[in-house]
Order: sequence, then structure tokens, then C-alpha cells
Amino acid sequence: METLHIAANSLVSGLLLGGVLALAALGLSIVLGVMGLVNLAHGEFVVAGGYLMLFVLQPFDIDPMLAFPLIAAIMAAIALALQRTLLRPLAGGPPESSMMTMFALSIVLQNLYLTLFQADTRSIQLPSSAQSVEVGPVSFGMIYLVGFLISVLVIFAAHCLITSTQFGRDLRASAADPEAAEIVGVDVERVRGWTLALGAACAALGGVLAGAIFGFTPISGPAYLLNAFAIVVLGGLGNVFGTLVGGVVLGVLQSVGGVAFGDGYRDLVGLLVLLIILGLCPQGLMGRKHA
Amino acid sequence: MRNLSTNAAPGRIHAWLRRPAFATALVLGVLGLPVMLPGLLGDYALEVGFRLLVLLSLAEAWNLLAGYGGMVSLGTASFFGVGGYVLIGLMNVAGLPVLPSLLIAALSGSVLAVLMAPAVFRLRGLYFTVGTLAFSEALRLFMVNSNDFGGASGWIAAQDPPDGQTLYAWAWMLCACTAGVFSLYLGSRLAVTLKAVRDDETAAAQVGVNTFLVKLLAFMTAGALMAAAGGLQAVKLGAIEPYGMFGMSWSIAVLSIVLIGGMGWKGGALLGTSFIVALGEWLADYPNAHLAITGVILMVVIRYAPQGLAGLLNGAACRRFGEGADEPVARAPGIHGKAARPGSPGRK
Amino acid sequence: MNRHFFNLRKLLSCTCVSFGMSLAAIAPAADAEEIVIGASLPLSGPLAGFGRDQQWGYQAAIDDANKRGGVTIDGKKYSYRLVVRDDKTDPSVTASNTETLISKDRALVMLGSCTPALVNAGALVAERRKVPMVTGCNPLGAFRSVRKWTYVWDIFFDEAELAEAPFRMLKELNIDTDKSVALLHDNGPDGKVVGGTLWPRLAQAGGYAVKQKAEFPVDNMQFTAIVSELRTKRPQIVLVDATAPQAISLRKQMAAAGYQPKVLVMEKGAESEQFARAAGALSDGVMVGAYWDPSFAYPGAQELARRFERDTGIAVSQHIADSNAAASVLIDAIGAAQSLDRERINRAISRTDKAYVVGPVKFDETNTSKLPIALSQWQGGKAVIIWPRRVATGTYLQPK
Repeated sequence: METLHIAANSLVSGLLLGGVLALAALGLSIVLGVMGLVNLAHGEFVVAGGYLMLFVLQPFDIDPMLAFPLIAAIMAAIALALQRTLLRPLAGGPPESSMMTMFALSIVLQNLYLTLFQADTRSIQLPSSAQSVEVGPVSFGMIYLVGFLISVLVIFAAHCLITSTQFGRDLRASAADPEAAEIVGVDVERVRGWTLALGAACAALGGVLAGAIFGFTPISGPAYLLNAFAIVVLGGLGNVFGTLVGGVVLGVLQSVGGVAFGDGYRDLVGLLVLLIILGLCPQGLMGRKHA
Repeated sequence: MRNLSTNAAPGRIHAWLRRPAFATALVLGVLGLPVMLPGLLGDYALEVGFRLLVLLSLAEAWNLLAGYGGMVSLGTASFFGVGGYVLIGLMNVAGLPVLPSLLIAALSGSVLAVLMAPAVFRLRGLYFTVGTLAFSEALRLFMVNSNDFGGASGWIAAQDPPDGQTLYAWAWMLCACTAGVFSLYLGSRLAVTLKAVRDDETAAAQVGVNTFLVKLLAFMTAGALMAAAGGLQAVKLGAIEPYGMFGMSWSIAVLSIVLIGGMGWKGGALLGTSFIVALGEWLADYPNAHLAITGVILMVVIRYAPQGLAGLLNGAACRRFGEGADEPVARAPGIHGKAARPGSPGRK
Repeated sequence: MNRHFFNLRKLLSCTCVSFGMSLAAIAPAADAEEIVIGASLPLSGPLAGFGRDQQWGYQAAIDDANKRGGVTIDGKKYSYRLVVRDDKTDPSVTASNTETLISKDRALVMLGSCTPALVNAGALVAERRKVPMVTGCNPLGAFRSVRKWTYVWDIFFDEAELAEAPFRMLKELNIDTDKSVALLHDNGPDGKVVGGTLWPRLAQAGGYAVKQKAEFPVDNMQFTAIVSELRTKRPQIVLVDATAPQAISLRKQMAAAGYQPKVLVMEKGAESEQFARAAGALSDGVMVGAYWDPSFAYPGAQELARRFERDTGIAVSQHIADSNAAASVLIDAIGAAQSLDRERINRAISRTDKAYVVGPVKFDETNTSKLPIALSQWQGGKAVIIWPRRVATGTYLQPK
């Protein structure tokens, strides 16, 4: 009976956690889908969200609800600037250059965080951090529920943005066929900039929630990146709701792994999922044009 | 845009320097001086030298895989770590002396390559890179968690590490081996077929090349060399644990070295390693700044000098001596910018 | 080539400059009138709190020695200089730092880092290079299990005593529980010994029922499965051995899950003030093994604590004591040896027999000097010694 109880708890928290993981992965999915860019600095964008929250929230005592849009805006601006300075000049060239540039960026960012914030583990305090929720036999931290709800909200908003706005249409056009889009008058480079901005903003928000649940260090980036990849291959490239589903699946799998083998194996579960799926159908789940 | 003027006679020394075997022998000779003259270098310089030689071997192996083979891997650490653990395992359990253990460690690297190949070779281009990264991290997490291999505490070597002079000598031997393997490779048919596979795998397959085997051979070779380097590092440390041996820092270092030095250029690894080690020494008191600056330099190189230092030097030499372009012995499309147009002069 | 291309001259001069600089960087940088004492410390990373406290302890001892005029050997006057390198809580960095400190910074003698993984990594290098090293912050069992040491000396407690402490306390203070216990520990060297071997054995011997056992890596921050199981099984006693970030995270996640044990011990992680600060009110009632408190009757204990609080403005940590003592032992040995010869200094260390701020120090044949263990409990942000009774400064508080 105890085991069932534990299993139920784990499943539920895994499910809710999956929402947060999905939000943290959404940016990678969109950027990869639209720009064909493997953003190896994605994990550092996620962590950036955590640091922004700590240093935006703490000194100015801003209401967390207000802080979220603020962080999204700041991160979007940073990403726009990065796209303009780093990626746009590499536009005509091969995709490896952009990927390696983002890789170099991730190194720079990690060490920037180390220098600015030291290697100490940080965690974010949100009002719901210390509360727990009980629903019948199952109980979990309130922060999981809050995280899940916020994640779903943001994912839904992103979906609306992509399907219902002019920007969204331009985005999809640029993804499907950049040359045709150019001909029709879409400023593809500008769209790409805003895509990276959207992706980074989602990543940062995911980072805030993840930072509240787990805590993070300057070198937490790669773990977020690889989890995000697992979710992307599970849910399908550029597919917004697919990412949510992928996130939930990964969250549950991680919980199962954690209960079965120990909490230290959670990240390993995600990586194994990624490797297995990549191994089984390297093009399959991705199934789109790519270099 | 290369200076095709044949009026300027190429300097004779320069021509000699460009014969691959001579250049390699010269570099190895210079690096080998401390081996032949013990006491030439002090303790600290021997340390730095060891680090340079190990990184150089790693970089050459990675250059073979990525520059010549087109397989940009972020999984160097997996081979490095496996080599280290195998070596210490052999030392502790079987009591084998270092040199035979190094050979077995190298072998284990090849075995790992064979095990990984079926999975990662299905991935092309960017997904190969991500796949190797995922594998490397997965292996690290596994080693951290599994008590059979010491878990987070790792293992302590049963034999004390030898002194700096011996370590340097062994590192030099590893480097010489790597250079030898490289020379062998460059003169072989494998070089041609691998280049074909790198440039266009589908076309190569259609012409009848066994692309899997060709890639596997390169992977196994690189893997063996990387594992040997890992084994040597383990000998030096005297105690190993997964964060240090399987950590991403090795994968990052090797990638930075080769990209900055010049991917697919013969001298790329040496130039890159010298640069990175010198930078590291200069910024030894500021480790975070060191890595951040390395990242920035990497970005600059990718943007403005995609051929790396080797490419820059070569271009400069061409302008100075007015010879036909000596293109890298192998040049990968991709990082280097647009692939060279066929028919450019000086092509090998 | 395109217009962004460096010309050869510029490139050559850049190369020359960088090589020149690196050569200059390699050149040793020690003053002939100085004795350099080297230390690799975790100034950042999960153990950053310990590292900073240790650095203070080392520096205080060296400043005091310099104030007394340094040391005079063969008529020549020497002052001491402490050179510290950050190992970022990474054992391989500790090892390479130790090499650098010995070869490049010309350290004559060494002081140790903190926790077995780091200390042992550096100690192996010092031992190989035959450089005397005195260290604290390394439980004696973990230290002894590595090898037979000649040049490295350890002043700390024995894990066996540390592991026993909670059980003895429960008995002697007559704390009422249903004897159900959970054992959670990291899989670092000390975590595995204390949590993996000693605690289970002691629990069984004392008639405790081990309801839950879990092991996790040192950098793991997710405790969902563990907390979920805790909440279900509700053991009244929870013994944890983990780093500070993990202890903080675990304590918070336990609270978020609505689970409060009657007895909560968090070895290692709850030691430093960082824990109390980060966990806030949640730190109340958490116990941790203590080997020093300013109230102990050792020479200079109170003054050292006051000095620390004056200098840094934060609450005192016990790590200032063993670090201060380690450095003092080294300095005294150099003075006693009246020589810069490492062998003679090493022999002088072996003859140490004196009371220092952390307690009496005398090394046995395994190069260790044992410190006795007490238990301290966080109460209102202050560390209060609650056991054994004869050194207690407060009474046991049930966690709320």
C-alpha cells in the first residue's frame, strides 16, 4: 500500500513537473523548428531566467507575478541583440557555424555566471514554495501545481502567438520555406530574431519555475539543454502542444526512474530516452527539411 | 584571390617546412628535447608540457574525427574517461604496469567506438553532435551514480604516479604515436575514402564505398588515442573520479583547440593547443576569465577566421612567398565557410 | 583573403607576445624573504561556505605569526605569506592547484582543502612531492583509508564517533521516539562511510527500524522520490549526510511536502551559517555534529570567534578553528625545526604536542590527531551545543 502511495505521489509530481520541463524546452523546439538552429546555449538561457529573477526580484521586491513578464521582456531583448550580432552575420553560411557559435556562447555565459554569481547553488523563493497540496491520498508541493499552471498558460500563449498573429504566420512561412517567404516580402532575418527572442523568453520563464523547484548553479545549463532535447524528440520539432505532451511524458519517466533507481538517476533517464529515440528514428520524429 | 605570381621564388626553407613529414619530425624533436635532456625543464614547466602534450594528442585525434572525417563530436570525454578508468582498474585489480595498461586502455577506446557506432552513425550532421553530447553526459551520470565504479568518489590508483620527467616522456611518446598514426592515415587510401564520405556520404555510398566501415575506422582510431590520453591523465592524477574524467571540460577544450587552430589543417591541433595552453598560463589566476575569453575567441574565429590560426598563417605565407594556395590536406565543408571551388591551384 | 584578415606581422607579434607572457607567467613569483604557505580551497561551488571560513582561519594564524615577527632561521628573518587557489569544489582542480602551488608559487608547505574528496586529492600530490601538509576538515577514517601517510597530517574528528553521536544523544537526553529512522546520504567518500556503512550498523545495534535508505550524487538537487517516500513512511528520525545546498533543498522540499520529523540531523550540510540563513525558520531544530564551539575551554577560542565576527560580520563557524590550528601547527613546526628543509619541518610536525584553539593536538602513528564530537542544534539562527551535557550551552529543542 505504501508503495502504491509513493508511486501515485511520484506520478502526479512527475506530471506537474513535466509542464515546467516542457516550458523550458519550448524555446529549443521553436528555434530549431523555425531557424534550423541547434541552440546549444539554450540551457544557459534557462539558467539566465533564474538569475534574472533573483536579481530583479530581490533588490526591488517586485511581486512575482509582475516579475514574470518583466523577465520575459528582458530575455527577449537580450536574445534579439544576440541574434543580430552573432547569428545574422553567419546567415548565408553553413549551419555548423551557428551551432558552434551558440556553443561558444554557452561557454561564455557559464563563466560569466560563475564570475558574477559564484558557483553557489541558488534557489528562488516563490510564495508557494513551502506549501503542500493534498488531493485525497496524493500530496505534492504547491509549487509544482503553480509551476504547471503557469507553464501551460505560457505554452498556450505561445501557441496563440504562432497560429493567430501576423508574426506567427511570418514565422511559419520562414520555417517552411525561407526563400519563398523572402519573395513574398517577409523579412526572414527579422523574424528569426524575434523567434530567438520568443524562445529565450520561454526558456527564461521555465528557468524561473525550475529554479524555484530545484535550485540551480551556473553550470546547470547542459542538463536543461539535454532534457529539452529529449522533450523535443518526444514531442516533435516546432510542435507547441507536442512539446507539452513530451514534457509531461519525460516528467513521468523521470519520476519513475527516480523512484526505481534513486533521485540521482532522473537526468540519466531523460538522456536515455533521448538516445533511444535518436537511435531508433533519427529522422523520423524530426521529419523535416534540415541540412 | 591567392597570389599566383610565380616570379617570387618560394623560399627553400619554406618549401622544406611544408613537407609534412619534416615538419612533424621537427616539432616532435623540439617537444622531445626535455625527454633527451632531463633537467632541462623545471617541475612546473614539465607540468605545463605534460598538459600540452596530452591536449595535443587529444586534439589531433579529434581533428582526425571531425576535421578529416566530418564527424563533429562533443563526446571526447566519454573516451577520455573510459581510458582513465580502464587504466586505473587494470592497475588496481591486475597490478599491470603502466605501459601495457595504456595499450589496453587505448583498445578499450576502440571498443567503445564500436559500441557507439551503430547508434550514433545513424545521425547526420548536427544530430550526430547532439547525440555524442547526450551519450557523454549519460555516461558521466551513470559513472557518478554507480557504486561499482566508485561512484562520485572514484578510485585511487594503487601505484604512486611517477615523477614529472617520466610523465612528460610518456606524454611525448603518446604524442609521437598520434603523429605516427596521423601520418600513416594521411598516406593511406582511407584518407581518400573518408574525405569522400565526409564531403557527401550518399554519393560515396553510391560509388561503392562502405561508408559505415570507413567512419568506424576513423572513430575507432580517434577513440583509441583519446582513451590513451585519458589513461595517461589518470596515471598523473593518481586518483580519478567521474566529474573530472568524464566532464565536459575535455570535450570543450578539444573543440576550442581545433576550431581556433584550424579544423582539418595539419598544423591546426598544434597551433590551437599552443595558443590555448599559453592563454591558460597567462590567465592562470583567473580561471573563469580564461574560459570566458576562450569562448569569445571561439566566436570571433568562427565569424572572421573560420580556417583558424592555421588558415591565417597559411594565407599570410602565401601572400609573403607568393605560392599557390596550400589548402588544408583535408578541408571540411561547414565550419570553414563555403567549400572551396574545384580547380583552385595548389590543390592536393 | 577577406579584409578582416590579420597580416602576418601582426599575427607573429601577437604570438610572440602571448608566448612571452606565458613564459613570464610561468616564472616563479616568490620573495626570498618569505615563506610561502599554499592552500587550495573551495572558495566557490557547493562547499564555498567552508572554503571561506577556512581561508579566514588560515590567514588569521599567518597574520598573527607575522605580527610576532615571523620566524628567524640562521639569523635571517622570514615572514609568512599565504597563497590560496580556488578549487571550485572539484577534486581534480585541487590536485592541479596543489601542483601549481608547489611548483609555480613555490610553496614550502601546504594546508589542506575541505572534505575528503578534495583534501585527499591535494594530499596525494603533496605526499608525492614530499611537501609537508597539515589539514583539518577531513574525517580521520576517510583520511586513513587512502594510504599510509608520511608528509600529510590531519586534525579532525573520526567518522565513527560522528556517526555514533546522534544515537548516543538520543539515549542520554532521553528523547522519546518510536525508533523509526531514515538514512539519506550523498555518495561522496564521507557520505558513503557515515550514511552507507556506519549508520545502518548503529541503527541495527540500537534496535532502530530503518524505514528508508537513499543515496544520491553530490550534485543532485532533486529529492522528489526521497521526499515522497519520507512523507509516506513518516519515520520520526531522519539522519542526513549531504552538502549544504542539498541539505537546504532537502529541508525545504520536506517542508513543502508537509513532513516534519521529530529528530533531524544533517551532517556536513547544516554546519555552516549559510544553512541557517538559507533555510531561515526551517533550520530550527536541525542538528549537526560539532567539533568546536567558542564556549569550549581551549586557548583563544572565544577571542578567535569574536575576531571572526568582527572581521566578517557573520556568525562564527567551527571551521575557523581547525583551519587556524592547522596553520598554527605548521608555523610552530617551522619555528621548532629552525630550518627550511621539508624533512626537518615534517619531523617537527610529528613532534607536535600542544593545546591549540581547536583543542589538544598530538599526532599518532597514522598521522592523525582526533577531535572529540559534540552535537549542535540550530535555534533561532544560532548554533547551540546540546550534547554532551558537560559542554552543552543550551537544551534540546524539538523541531516544529
